[in-house]
Amino acid sequence: METLDVQRVRGMNDALPGEDARLRALTATLRDHFERFGYRGIDTPVLENLDLFLRKSGEEVAARMYTFTHWNRKLCLRPELTASVMRAYVGNLRDRPLPVRVHYAGPTFRYEKPQRGRYRQFTQVGIECIGAGGPSADAEVLAAACGALERTGLVGFRVVLGHLGVVLQLLEQLGIDEHGQNLILGNMEALARRGAAPDEVLPRILGLMGVGNAADLNADTEHDDEDSISLLPSLLSEFGSEGAAHVASDLLARANLMLEGGTRTPEEIVSRLVAKAGRPDPTDRVARAVDFIVQLQRLAGPPEVAFGRIGALLAEHELDPAPLREIERALALLPSYGVNQPEVVVDLSLGRGLRYYTGLVFELHADAVGGVSSQIGGGGRYDDLVRSLGGREGVPACGFSFGLERIKLALDAEGSEPTGDRAVDVVVAPIDEDDEPPAVAIATRLRQAGLDVELDVRRRGVRANLRHADRERVPYVVIVGERERVDGRALLRDMASRSEQALDADALVAAVRTGR
Amino acid sequence: MTAIAPLASRRNQLRARRSGVNTPTLRMALPSKGMEQQTLDFLALCGMKVSRPNPRQYRATIPALAGVEVLFQRVTDVFAKVAEGSVDLGITGYDVVREHQREDDGVLMLEKALGYAGCALVLAVPEGWIDVSSVIDVAEISAEFRRRGRDLRVATKYPNLTRQFLFDNGINYFTIVESDGALEAAPALNAADVIVDIVSSGVTLRENRLKRLSGGTIVESEACLIGNRTALRDSPEKLEIVRQVLELIEAQMRSREYFSLTGNIRGDSPEAVARRVTSHTEVAGLRGPTISRVYPKLGGEEGWYAATVVVQSKLLLQAIDALRRAGAGDVSVAPLRYMFQSKCWSFEALRRQLSDRGTDE
Repeated sequence: METLDVQRVRGMNDALPGEDARLRALTATLRDHFERFGYRGIDTPVLENLDLFLRKSGEEVAARMYTFTHWNRKLCLRPELTASVMRAYVGNLRDRPLPVRVHYAGPTFRYEKPQRGRYRQFTQVGIECIGAGGPSADAEVLAAACGALERTGLVGFRVVLGHLGVVLQLLEQLGIDEHGQNLILGNMEALARRGAAPDEVLPRILGLMGVGNAADLNADTEHDDEDSISLLPSLLSEFGSEGAAHVASDLLARANLMLEGGTRTPEEIVSRLVAKAGRPDPTDRVARAVDFIVQLQRLAGPPEVAFGRIGALLAEHELDPAPLREIERALALLPSYGVNQPEVVVDLSLGRGLRYYTGLVFELHADAVGGVSSQIGGGGRYDDLVRSLGGREGVPACGFSFGLERIKLALDAEGSEPTGDRAVDVVVAPIDEDDEPPAVAIATRLRQAGLDVELDVRRRGVRANLRHADRERVPYVVIVGERERVDGRALLRDMASRSEQALDADALVAAVRTGR
Repeated sequence: MTAIAPLASRRNQLRARRSGVNTPTLRMALPSKGMEQQTLDFLALCGMKVSRPNPRQYRATIPALAGVEVLFQRVTDVFAKVAEGSVDLGITGYDVVREHQREDDGVLMLEKALGYAGCALVLAVPEGWIDVSSVIDVAEISAEFRRRGRDLRVATKYPNLTRQFLFDNGINYFTIVESDGALEAAPALNAADVIVDIVSSGVTLRENRLKRLSGGTIVESEACLIGNRTALRDSPEKLEIVRQVLELIEAQMRSREYFSLTGNIRGDSPEAVARRVTSHTEVAGLRGPTISRVYPKLGGEEGWYAATVVVQSKLLLQAIDALRRAGAGDVSVAPLRYMFQSKCWSFEALRRQLSDRGTDE
């Protein structure tokens, strides 16, 4: 017979007993640490309206979401939790005194090529501090992140600190429009982290902005009318925006071009054509922005050297050094939080791939995963997110999240002792069917005493039960046989010392508890 | 399977007796519409002429390949049949494979481009959108639509590739209008704003007053050969037939890049002629020329030799000139039917695919 086993979905893992226990213990450790800072738990649905993540996620995330249409509604599996938490805040928590502090843990989904430490379903554990701006809140979040990692026993990790404020200022100064800003911020990751060469990234950004010939790389050779149409905007620009629409309509009528029939009105098309013609060529400005980001990346380093070097660059470009001051102030608070000074790198080219960050951002990297550094968490400040999710007023907010499975891998790589995965305290084994009621009663007494009890429901026999306890490292076995029926005592076997005692129920509980 | 197999094979035997065909070792699905004639021509060229007693029948055989049964299916069904394993081998469009493939469907790509049925999946907009020349413009328009509270509607038969393409190009707000009818009419009928469709000559687009965009090509496609992984892995008999198919296809396709040239050259000895020919690199051939003696007809001249070389098609005229310089008077050119190499590379690639199972980590 051909097997009809159903495979698990690629990139999604089962957390089997043992693994599951460890992950839950790790989650509990992290969330417990957040509770110390006054954060309280929140849970949001795995399924969300697609729109929630399209508002500010950027292509990196949008293209990798699990999206589907269910009865004509566009839904997705959440790719991260921050947007969900902020949606819950905007919807239900706005009457709470600020800041609202919440912690969460839950599965998130991204359709990426699976590899070690990168799965399509992974668990994010994190916090959001909603309604507090500035370095004081930034420092709290950063300290909570570092402290939580220390609590898990992880030793080798590094903090990379950045601030979107610097690059945003420069883009503003250069007069690059929002679309362009988004593209540059989205590609900062590629420029800085993955070491892409600027001369590869620049044409890509320009291509996506509709400038240069990058977009034409896979253009179709058979376009004949392409050239004449792309000439139109420049022609129109000579007439100024006043007469342009008129001239355009006239031109179109002469060319006998059908503007109706489609779903846009001729007025819409003409006015956009004119607007497009009026836009200055951004090539030079984008190149300057890219160059600036590359310089920032080169100046990255430990705070004591990086601040001076970056400060000089900001002065040279006449940019406000406030973002640097914010990083400095947040860092200065860390020792008072009792965080054992982790290795810190200040890198203002840090972009984080998500579009919603506005201020201080940071990433946590573990040193020891397979000899290469692995990002285990990250976060930052996103002061505009509430407004873009429909909040009437802007609410400053910051937060971060860990990748739970990544932390586990990092702990494994450091050879740290696994916690959470432990055997049950005792096996209770009835011998005959008649022994079941007293055996169940004893198991219940032990459970009421807070012990983990495994009842033998297969009636394996004494020897098999002892062998089982030995293999599973269960310290005690209680054998319930004829004697229990006669004098109310059962046989307790201590698996370590191999000694046996006949004890009544109270004595059994006491013995197993002390031996635990 | 064991419980069912005897029954199934008996059914096959019965069917075989009725139709006069032996139980097929391998089933091959060919496209029944659109690409049908081109596929039959292609297979015939490769030496695998399909024999079909009646053009209305959807079953046929390939006499040159014993044990092969041919089924005619629609291109999308060819893929589905190969994926589910009811057919072992199939020819379909590369665009169809890209749209319908799943990571775990066990469909192997045996030959990605068979050199015919070329087309492209493209994003097209109404010609009247004169402000739109690239995908970037469409992204801006989708954002503009969004501000006015509606989504860009995209009509297509390829929702998966379309969705991925739009997201990759920063177009986040859109609605896919799945349509099997005349897509090209959707914008004019106000059923969609833009379309994503297959284009081969571009005439249909133009007739419907639609235009392609710079950066708007999603997939370039040709006919391709696919196979079922499990079937080819578990049956040496099937794999052997696939080897023959790949050998013929690969050698035929390669042969199109070459011509065989024969020129008569006068000389003192075969070696002397060979030296004259090989002194021109254009006609050195793949290894070197073959020189054979021409036996003169009665009263004819002695000392003529025929030099035969195989050259790349694109170098044909240069090679002719070189042969002339080497002393050839007249040169005959023949196309090759096959060009085999020491190995069938696509079969080697298939063997590698069969041995490494995709893993998660």
